[in-house]
This record gives sequence, C-alpha cells and structure tokens, in this order.
Amino acid sequence: MRLERIDRAAAVRADFQGGVVTPVAFRLDGREQRVTRVNARWIDRAGRHPSFYFSVTVESGDVYQLQVQGADLVWRVDTVALEG
Amino acid sequence: MASGSEGAVTTGADVAGTIGPAGVTHPGERTVLHVDIDAFFAAIEQVRDPRLEGKPVIVGAGVIASCSYEARRFGLRAGMALSEARRLCPQAVILEGHAQVYRCFAERIFDLCRETAPAVECHLDEAYCDLTGTGRLHGDALATAGALKRRIRAATGLAVTCGVGPNRMLAKLIGKTVKPDGLARIAAADADAFLRDRPIEQLAGVGSAHGRTLRSMNLNTIGDLRALPVDVLEALFGANGRLLHERCRGRDTAAVTEREVPLSIARETSFHRHTADRAEIEGMLEYLTGRACRAARELEIKPGTIAVRLRYADGEMAEQSRSLGAPSDADPVVLELALTLLGRLFTRRVALHAIGVTLSHFASRLAEQGSLFDEREAGRRAALFQAFDGVRRAFGHGVLVSGRALHLKGRLDEDRHGFVLRTPSLTK
Repeated sequence: MRLERIDRAAAVRADFQGGVVTPVAFRLDGREQRVTRVNARWIDRAGRHPSFYFSVTVESGDVYQLQVQGADLVWRVDTVALEG
Repeated sequence: MASGSEGAVTTGADVAGTIGPAGVTHPGERTVLHVDIDAFFAAIEQVRDPRLEGKPVIVGAGVIASCSYEARRFGLRAGMALSEARRLCPQAVILEGHAQVYRCFAERIFDLCRETAPAVECHLDEAYCDLTGTGRLHGDALATAGALKRRIRAATGLAVTCGVGPNRMLAKLIGKTVKPDGLARIAAADADAFLRDRPIEQLAGVGSAHGRTLRSMNLNTIGDLRALPVDVLEALFGANGRLLHERCRGRDTAAVTEREVPLSIARETSFHRHTADRAEIEGMLEYLTGRACRAARELEIKPGTIAVRLRYADGEMAEQSRSLGAPSDADPVVLELALTLLGRLFTRRVALHAIGVTLSHFASRLAEQGSLFDEREAGRRAALFQAFDGVRRAFGHGVLVSGRALHLKGRLDEDRHGFVLRTPSLTK
C-alpha cells in the first residue's frame, strides 16, 4: 500500500441529507472521481473550528482522504492510498 | 459460562447487573464496565481502507505499535521489531501510523461512553465506565454494554470488547477472556473461582519482572499468591505488595476517575533520516519538550524529573534522567535540563535514529508551594505560557514555534497539529 500526499483544494459534490455530509464525487486534475463507498468519517476538534474527514473509495478502487474545514467549508483532497 | 448476546460470553448465570450469590441484588455494589478497542490502530487502518480487511496489518516504525488479529495468527505482537515481523509474516502490510486520526476515533468512542456512564476514565485505547447506580436508568448492565458496543460499531466501524464486573480489575480481566469483539460479565461471587487458576502474570500489577520473581518462588497462579501474607508481599514489592494482596482475592477499590494523572508524559520520534546535525537534534528536543510541557500544563501538573532518551543509528540506546530543583511546567526550565542531559548523552560519533523526552514525578499545580521572591516572575511566565496554550488550542500547535525548533521549519512537513513527525509516540 502506497500513500501519496495530494493536499489540494478540490470541488466536491456532497449530499447533506439527514444532516449528515456525504461526499458523492470530486474533481481532481480535471477528472471527476465518483465515490462508490464512504469507508470512514471522523472529526478533528483540535483548534477553534473542527475539520471533518472522510475516507472514500472511488470507482477505480483507490482510497482517497477528503477533508472539509469547519471554518470556511473548503474541501481538500489530502491523500490517496494506491495498491502496491 | 453461558452464551450472551452478539456471540458473547458471560460468566455467572445472572443477567441483572449487580447481583450477588443466589440472585440477591446488592444496591451498594459497584458496577464497572471496561471498554477495550480491539487492535486499535490496525483496526482503524482496516476501516479507513477496506482493501486491508482480512489482511495482516501492522502499524509502527521500528517496532510494532499495533497489529491486526490476522497478523497475530503469525505470532506477531506489539513491541516486536519490524525486521522480526517481516520474517514471520512477509505478506503483512506495514503502515507508519496516523496518530491524530487514532486520537479522533478514540475521542468519538469515549464520547459515546460518556453518554452511557456518569464517570468515565479514558486511556489510549480503553475506558473504564462507572455504571454504579445506573440500573434504573439503563436497566441491566450487560444489556447496556451490548447497546454501547453496537453504537460504537455504528459510529466508527470499530469492534470493542466489553467486560462488566464489580471493580475495575475484574471488569478488565473478564473482558480479556472474550477478545476480540466480546461481551462478558463477572459477578463478585464468581471472582474467587474465576481468578484462582489464572496465570500469575494476568493479575493487574504483576509485570514480567514481578512474574519472574513469583514464579521463581513456585507461585504460578493467582490462587497461589493468596498463600503469602501481606507483610511478605510488602517486603517483596513495597506498596504494590498490599495491592497484590487485595487483588489476588478479587478486591480492587480503585475509583473510576474522570481525569487520569499519568505516571509520565513522553514525547518521542525517530528522525526522517539519521542525523548528527546538532541544530536539528536540539530543535527536535525543544519541539518535543514544548509539546510535553503543554500536555503537563493541560493536566495541571508539574514534572519534577526529566529524562532524555537517544537511539543511535546502530541501535544502541542511551538514557539519563535528572530532577529539577523544583517542579516546573515552563518550557525554558525543562528545556535547559533536557539540553544538559542531551549534552551528556550524545557523545558517540554515530548519527541518531530517534530522540525522546519524558516528564515524570508530577506535583499538582494546585498544591504548589509559592516562591517568596520570584513569584512575580513565575506568575508572568505562567501567564505567558497560558496565552501560548490558548493560541495553540485555537490555531494548532504549529502556529507558535520557538527557538531551536525553528531549525525544523522547511525540513519537516507541517499540519494543523504542528510538525509531521515520522514516528510520533503512537502509544503514549
């Protein structure tokens, strides 16, 4: 398993149904990645504003870590875990 | 033993919480629930990346900090060197770990525990919940534990093992018998039979050193220990001897305390590359010392003893500790002594692999003896660090970097928690 750091702001389509944020797809390097599964979600409450993290699997099978910051609601793609 | 819910095991036939012999309820009897997160770090990695499910997963750098149950089948265990782990299980997936992520998951689980119990004592990957007197609110303690397990699974995807008992020691011990993902209860009346034939090392307070001593005396089980009078145990193990005398009889009066005062606070890491660069080494020591002092201030305790530990690139270790003139939680005071210790320790012409600082022998800040002459200066310094801590709480530890730690800027990645260390103290 290889972890690559991306650390870039990204456009994310998310579902807010039931008061729960669920990323549906995001655009990275001009390509849309559709989320097939939200594996885990957690909240980092360090600092004044919480950050919401998601581990998601996309159609290719790669696992990305997304975060949305509570302060400005900016989405970022943190990392991708690649096979091998 | 009888089967309980969720494939769990319960000891004793009782199902009504604090029950004594013949089903007699003792309203004053304590009920403690021990919650243990199974294979903590490795399980989180498996939840975050489903491709790791069912595979042997190791989290650690240098040594195993945590490994999945699939890895344990190959004989792997925490503390084992990674080189040995690779030899035993070449197909294992090795990850360096994500301390901040683990902390977030643990906090979520502890929040759920707090919704269930009025008093919760949290440690790294386990919590003691005092359910005494909650019977009318929650009902049966075992059912309460089962419901908590399900809520934790739904919220985090993680499995926990729950043990319910009349005290902390028994709750933890009964849980150990049903790991992983188990649920068990022991009644006070069953404690004697439960403990009697267990290996001596399973008794809380008996580590490997005490275990060797006791086995050399042909005391192999917890039941065997009952033959020793309390004064003999005290002569052998000091104050711990009296505790062992009680515990081997199933008695443990330790309370579930909301805030744990640790025996020590350690902050350590390995360097990204072996280094003999004094500026980098001192910078890392200052950074780690700052983080340890902040942790002490948040707990309102002041360390009396400082230890510095080095690990050279050739594997040799060096460690030295010294006491401060008076307990202090001020970064400059602690750092001065830490740098002195570093100067004494770092004498070989070999690069360093890792460095760490440990604070211990704490005094409560509230019980502090005031200084007659430099009180004003100490007060100003305390106010300064209080302000630093406030800024760091709001904006992250990394927003304020002092002195030698500035040498790390540009060399290490940073996130909202500060510098991204290679192997932060995952288990501390």
